[in-house]
Amino acid sequence: MRAALTLPVLGSSRVTFSLWYVRRGDCIVEGDRIAEVLIPGATFDVHAPATGTLAEQLAFPNDALTPGQVLGWIEEE
Amino acid sequence: MTDTPPTAESQKPTRALSAYLLGTVAFDALLAFQRRLIYDISGDRTTAALILCDHPTGITIGREGSRSHIRPNPEDLNARGWSPRWVSRGGGVMLHVPGQVACYPMLALDAHGLTAGAYLDQLQGVAIELLREFGVTGEIDPDHPGVRVNGRRLVHIGVAIRDNVTCFGMVVNADPDLELFRDVRCDGATQPMTSLARESSHRVRVTGVRQRLLELIASRFGFDRTSVFHTHPGALHQRVRHAAAHRP
Repeated sequence: MRAALTLPVLGSSRVTFSLWYVRRGDCIVEGDRIAEVLIPGATFDVHAPATGTLAEQLAFPNDALTPGQVLGWIEEE
Repeated sequence: MTDTPPTAESQKPTRALSAYLLGTVAFDALLAFQRRLIYDISGDRTTAALILCDHPTGITIGREGSRSHIRPNPEDLNARGWSPRWVSRGGGVMLHVPGQVACYPMLALDAHGLTAGAYLDQLQGVAIELLREFGVTGEIDPDHPGVRVNGRRLVHIGVAIRDNVTCFGMVVNADPDLELFRDVRCDGATQPMTSLARESSHRVRVTGVRQRLLELIASRFGFDRTSVFHTHPGALHQRVRHAAAHRP
């Protein structure tokens, strides 16, 4: 089963993807910080919603993002 | 004498703020202390901490900063001991010098019902209120959070949110040597930064600014109880040099 890694509501109209802390295929545990997004003045860490393997990365540095957008997929254990 | 029945108001969980009024803190020590506080607060989300300190002269570069905002070349920077440090916070380049007040609130956003954007608005609100108390009118720039006065930045804002707990925060130029800011374009601004002492007709003391920031943060984020500390646990592990014992 796959779990979506989505962007939470950050209360800013300008959100950009900053970086991935993990690579595709890496094992992750629920709650791990796996990506960082940027709003003007603040960085925000996005945490893994499930334990498994990062199967897909859909966002890349400097991509403009919207709330609820899927950043990647996690293949659950 | 009868016991008063507990009301909804009295049963509301209290919000406690631990404020650390520290002097000059090396950046490495700050990072370690922040990590520890984030760990504590993410475990008990009704608690919060505030670090008020300043840093030895140096440069930090946030995610929105660039090396091109720093005028001196690497050799010059080394000679001055200003080696730039890249940090994972928002905001751009900041030059840390004595005479500033670094204000780093650490609180769980979910416990306060805030989003990241709303938290930044609150932080800017604190800065605007602080300036108003010194008779200075600040302007907010939505594209580059921070506060400007007469077109020059006075308050730098750069925040990081980890596990929904905030860290880093803002730096207020209370009374620093402004000449140094000619070499560093803080937050990419073309004009050098200004200070409260320069813009205000009131007497500006760093300790006074620090105290007012503590009070403004406590009231804006609704803390019922504030405990003030003048040292931090990390300081206990620093080596202390004692005078050599006298041996006859």
